[in-house]
Amino acid sequence: MLDFLQSASDGILFGATYALIGIGFTLVFGVMHKLNLAYAAASVGGAYCGLLIVKVAAGAPAFAVFFGAFLAGGVLGYLVYLTCFHFIPVSNPLAALMATVGMLLLIDEIIVHETDGVPLNYPAMFDDVMLRVGEFTLRGDLLMVFVVSMVCMAGLLALLYKTRLGLATRAVSQQAVAAQLCGIRVGRVNAMTFVVTGLLGGIAGAMIGASVGTLSPLLTTPLTIKGLIVTVIGGLGSIPGAIIAGLLVGGFESVLQQFRGVTERDLYVMLLLFVFLVFRPGGLFAPKGGRD
Amino acid sequence: MTRKDHPLLEVSELVTAYGKIEALKGVNLSVEQGSITCLLGPNGAGKTTLMMTTAGILKPRGGSIRFAGTEIAGRAPHAIVAQGVALVPENRLVFPAMTVIDNLQAGAYQRRDRVETGADLERMFARFPRLKERSAQLAGTLSGGEQQMLAVARALMSRPKLLLMDEPSLGLAPLVVEEIFRIIADLHMDGATIFLVEQNAHMALKVAQHFYLMEQGKVTFSGTPGAMAEDEVIRRAYLGSAKA
Repeated sequence: MLDFLQSASDGILFGATYALIGIGFTLVFGVMHKLNLAYAAASVGGAYCGLLIVKVAAGAPAFAVFFGAFLAGGVLGYLVYLTCFHFIPVSNPLAALMATVGMLLLIDEIIVHETDGVPLNYPAMFDDVMLRVGEFTLRGDLLMVFVVSMVCMAGLLALLYKTRLGLATRAVSQQAVAAQLCGIRVGRVNAMTFVVTGLLGGIAGAMIGASVGTLSPLLTTPLTIKGLIVTVIGGLGSIPGAIIAGLLVGGFESVLQQFRGVTERDLYVMLLLFVFLVFRPGGLFAPKGGRD
Repeated sequence: MTRKDHPLLEVSELVTAYGKIEALKGVNLSVEQGSITCLLGPNGAGKTTLMMTTAGILKPRGGSIRFAGTEIAGRAPHAIVAQGVALVPENRLVFPAMTVIDNLQAGAYQRRDRVETGADLERMFARFPRLKERSAQLAGTLSGGEQQMLAVARALMSRPKLLLMDEPSLGLAPLVVEEIFRIIADLHMDGATIFLVEQNAHMALKVAQHFYLMEQGKVTFSGTPGAMAEDEVIRRAYLGSAKA
């Protein structure tokens, strides 16, 4: 029982990063009704860019690396928007989808080439802190990952519900024609959505690096798949859904890793997706109010 | 400033096409400052296409749209809103998962004068008390008539010089339709210029000073309500011309 609680809580804390990745997928889908498959790769790319700070100024604090990843993620998000969406006709949704697949592979390749395919150490904060309650422990670095992710999500919700940009973003995602009639520039909102999700992705990548201890180019594909699973389980377009599904998938895979081993773990995550697709295809929170 | 003898909106030889099919085949019409002008016509005549082209959602293939002396044909929707044109679209198109207040704020998106915008919000609530009662409710939960009022109020929040309305009575109960037309008449009393598309020709001709009949992408008749030809126009507005 203690093993179960321990692995579940570790997984839920780590699942906050999945939640961030899921939010990135779901927000772009909500606004543009398109999938950005390069998102997880760009997030890992952002985390790598954060490491450049250590290269320039050796001994830079972990916080600076995280912040660098955050900013680089935003820049990468904008680049993905420009290359995969801005110049590609709206009438051809498959073209944009394929462009993002190409971008996913390109980012992957760049990382492999620049690092010679060798995993790099990633700094963490509070990794020497352990909170103990009897036999039960909470890892300080995982708590940090959880708290940072939650703060980013709160920031996103504040942006969406308290600012002019957020009003425009919600308007475009719910009724794009009416948003244009209100004088909102849809192209700008789309671009800003990519920047904002990119910032979140950069943080997610950095938090994954911090909790695993290393960054590896092998992360991009599984993270893309986990992100999509979280998005589907949460309900396409639903932010609260992505958050809960992220924590759920994190806890679920951690428990199964504990009891069935790391090689079988993802099998059960796929089964979880399958169960959802059969019994609740709309996800936990199917977004209320359609587009039309 | 515009010269007084110029109409506020002047559409000439406007052509809009969906692929190879021309929905507007050279439309000519004008809307006078301070008037209610009504566009009648059967389904598929191109009325909504004209509204969407004027608002910039659809791009014309040719012709011109002059608003207050400025050419706006083919400009982006946000630029046209900035010029002072607002469209209440067909089927209302409210933001369903946003509150009534947020819908109205979205209508004022281009305005930076927070205090004045707040005052306008209060004016909307005074004009539409039902919206005030439901101000914190999601727009998708409103009735059809309330959603129509919200769509009108949202368009007014941009302080337009010209209000375009596309089928405001569509799908509403007769009593609600009467209320909508009372609102249109009120807005006109307060000095608004309104260009109205309607299927409900009887109601529209009661409020309008001028009307156009559109059939198969062209304006085929124009006049003032009460003229002799009204019965014929109403028949054609519902049924299309005899040759169709």
